[in-house]
Amino acid sequence: MSNNNKKWFSLNLGRKEKESSGACGCGKTSGGCGAASQSDQMTDAAFAEAAIHASIGEEKNKDGFEQVFDVKMDRRTAFKKLTASLLIGAGAVSTSCSVIGGDESKEKAQIDWEEQFKGNYKLMTDEEKNGTVDRLVRSYQLRTGKTISMSSKNAEEDVLFGYAFNISKCQGYMDCVNACVEENNQDRNSEMQYIRIHEMKDGKGFNFNEADDNYYHEVPAEGHFYMGTQCFHCDNPPCVEVCPVQATWREDDGLVVVDYDWCVGCRYCMAACPYDGRRFNWSKPEVPEAEINKNQHYLGNRMRKKGVMEKCTFCVQRSRAGKNPACVEACPTGARIFGNLLDPDSTIRWVLENKKVFRLKEDLGTEPKFWYFMD
Amino acid sequence: MRRLRVFRSLVKDSLDTITHGSKKYHLWMAFLTFGMLTGMYCYSIQLEHGLSVTGMTDRVSWGLYISNFTFLVGVAAAAVMLVMPTYVLKDIDFKQAVLIGEGLAVSALIMCLAFVIADMGGPSVLWHMIPGIGVFNFPNSMLTWDVLVLNGYLFLNITIPFYILFRHYQGKEAKSKVYIPGAILSVFWAVGIHLVTAFLYQGLQARPFWNNALLGPRFLASAFAAGPALIILVLAIIRSFTEFKIQDKTIKKIAMVVTVAAQINLIMLISELFKEFYAPTHHSESAYYLFFGLDGKDALLPWIWTAIPLNVLATVLLTFHKLRNNFKVLFFCCFILFVAIWIEKGFGLIVPGFIPGPYGKIAEYTPTGIEIGVTLGIWALGAFIFTILAKTAIGIELGELKYKKNKEN
Amino acid sequence: MMNRYNLKYIVSAFIMVLGLASCKHHEDEYHSITDKIEAEGKNYQGTSISSEAYIGDIKTIEITEGAHTFLIPERKSQIKSYACTECHIKPLAKMQNKDFKKAHWDIKIEHANENTMNCITCHNGSNMDELTSLTGKSIDFNKSYNLCNQCHTKQFQDWKGGAHGKRIGGWAPPRASMTCVNCHNPHDPHFESRWPARFNTQKVKERE
Repeated sequence: MSNNNKKWFSLNLGRKEKESSGACGCGKTSGGCGAASQSDQMTDAAFAEAAIHASIGEEKNKDGFEQVFDVKMDRRTAFKKLTASLLIGAGAVSTSCSVIGGDESKEKAQIDWEEQFKGNYKLMTDEEKNGTVDRLVRSYQLRTGKTISMSSKNAEEDVLFGYAFNISKCQGYMDCVNACVEENNQDRNSEMQYIRIHEMKDGKGFNFNEADDNYYHEVPAEGHFYMGTQCFHCDNPPCVEVCPVQATWREDDGLVVVDYDWCVGCRYCMAACPYDGRRFNWSKPEVPEAEINKNQHYLGNRMRKKGVMEKCTFCVQRSRAGKNPACVEACPTGARIFGNLLDPDSTIRWVLENKKVFRLKEDLGTEPKFWYFMD
Repeated sequence: MRRLRVFRSLVKDSLDTITHGSKKYHLWMAFLTFGMLTGMYCYSIQLEHGLSVTGMTDRVSWGLYISNFTFLVGVAAAAVMLVMPTYVLKDIDFKQAVLIGEGLAVSALIMCLAFVIADMGGPSVLWHMIPGIGVFNFPNSMLTWDVLVLNGYLFLNITIPFYILFRHYQGKEAKSKVYIPGAILSVFWAVGIHLVTAFLYQGLQARPFWNNALLGPRFLASAFAAGPALIILVLAIIRSFTEFKIQDKTIKKIAMVVTVAAQINLIMLISELFKEFYAPTHHSESAYYLFFGLDGKDALLPWIWTAIPLNVLATVLLTFHKLRNNFKVLFFCCFILFVAIWIEKGFGLIVPGFIPGPYGKIAEYTPTGIEIGVTLGIWALGAFIFTILAKTAIGIELGELKYKKNKEN
Repeated sequence: MMNRYNLKYIVSAFIMVLGLASCKHHEDEYHSITDKIEAEGKNYQGTSISSEAYIGDIKTIEITEGAHTFLIPERKSQIKSYACTECHIKPLAKMQNKDFKKAHWDIKIEHANENTMNCITCHNGSNMDELTSLTGKSIDFNKSYNLCNQCHTKQFQDWKGGAHGKRIGGWAPPRASMTCVNCHNPHDPHFESRWPARFNTQKVKERE
């Protein structure tokens, strides 16, 4: 967290940066530093002393003028400094500067500050990525007292993810939908779902117009077959082209991801997606604390805020670690196949080379990496 | 230094003019202020609860805001129809109208920007879109083009009239060498802003209703009908409420512009309808939904079947010289044409683009009260700005506002 | 005159630059995703990602069928009453009398019809620890897929390639796949119908 060449302006509000080797600011590498470590916290007096020391400590060699002006600034930071002082005048600064305010609220304010003015994840260096992930983990800890693990793992070399869906096998149980919602911390109030299972009548072809994607009866229903759709992670994604701020992009391993903190919420990508693959947080997403999946990735299932886009990421937190996406793992019929398209020995490649595969709306030139096939 | 002093005096004088007026004027401004405050209150609710307070859903993800935005870009672009003959072709007829037209363009553009901001999910991170500080996805995203051209056009439309008024304020003639290049540029620019806005939709292969080559030209035609129609109405109002003289000749000339544009617009509409319904494909479903309803879902029918007859009636009436030259008929035509195009190009264009959805699912869209409140608030804002601009401009043009050299000493 | 010429030149150069700048940036040179897979997969070196950890406690055995070598779960240790010979001390024919307590009484075969299949189509009456093929060759319980593939040849092909069945662990190598009996009960192999796991009430509201 203490690297000097950040791309965002960080406000040091008299809080000494603690040396942190682990995931969170308290310096412990394992276990939580919130409620769990209550016993080994300092007494109030010792704490106050440390706080005073901390607040002067690092800066006592510089006078006030130097502290403010002896900072390397580029245009970007200069601007941020300017706007920030206008924007956040009352809120964050007053809390963080108040004498009574505890160290924690100061830290919270500083994290909020840095998060508000951080750069686009796509353009960050690995160090900066780790920085923002650390801040988010710490922020969550300060707010809820719970520890989450968040990854910023990059795309691996020689990996290109692809997906195949066996129409003959799917029975419409929707276990995939269930698993997806639980894995990806989607808003429970609006019942957001990335996956849709379309129930189609036999003999009518792929007639989406007459298909029902919200059935509730015993499945498989007589005379019907099932077809699942989700984000197809196009190789030429129209949603990425249209985003005015590059808040969504295709990673090197083919995943089309969103930086939730960079998205401005214009919903142009939603209009551009021919596959109904994108979802918008119309209100503040809420997940009961007990149901939150704490194994997270910055680009994946971390908690979202209101007014931003989100979408299926092939469970980036799982797939980059070698696991299958939650939908693939949950499917009881084996209708879902996931793997590395570049690996000639992978099962997905065998499917592509040996089954009669097709994709939806191929004529649009979007090159989805999601194939359908039948037995 | 002297310029600064003149400017200060101008601001002071214009503040003086806009705060003084007849009872009707004050009532009008109070009404607009009330509208803006209501809009702001509605927007504060939207900020707090998110866009879920609007009628928009994942299915229809753009609604009233973007509809109005699209329409108003057209109104803004149409101001150029008056700029071109006046400044470039030296047609004196339009001289009085052009300042009004540019004032209209400025307020329309401000409304456009307000609608876009109202539609954003995260207005607090809008700085991500500022080139240099944020990340500007230029030239790939048409939205970035739109941001550029709209702001550029706003700049042009503020500076040109400001220069002219600033000169007139001092009792000098505006130098044509200074403003003519700007005026010529703004002519091309106006076509540009509307074409780019059309491309915003036209470039989406996901939405067949928008993805047709006629969309851009049709945007232009309908804009050049609706915009000048609004200008005629505004001129009529100004004529009857102020001493600002606008000749009949001017209005008749603008009416000519409206007529031609409305006729072209109608031809394009026929061409579009022919394509959608003579050999209907899977891609015609949106048009079916718009005009006849799909699966019993027919929320847009009353709207579009109001717009089409109004549009046809206005165009037919305008086509006859005798009718067009009768001002009562003309004003009526302009009004219904304006309403018709507002429906056709707002609701009638944006909403059916999303219906049916990519997989044929139909979820209809109805704006909520809050959404309508914000929309009315922004319209009130536009009218407010326009009134201020027009009142100052008229004051200067009439010579009521004049720079007095020794006033400040 | 010179000036005008220059102006023209500048304007046309500007337009050209504008035109170039506004070309869409297609970073990749491939025509389609299949071309890309082919080109980029040519020098595939393998990845450092492994799904070995996710197989967990499941005991696996490696099998090679045709061109495919992969892991499947070991079966024998998972069968509750294996080895069968612990009870089946005599050949089956000799056990079929009223004095013995009936075992496996709850098993009903719902697999093909009676003309095609009965117990001894798969089980070896004289050696219950092994399965038997249609021609009477013995098949190990760990490789019971060899029994299934006698009839279900197409499914077997797909399973070997990975189009049928499910992976254990993850997508990354080493490949570990479930074998037939991990998903299908051999006595009743079809999947039961049941209610979907979820119903979306919001979607109903949305489409009213």
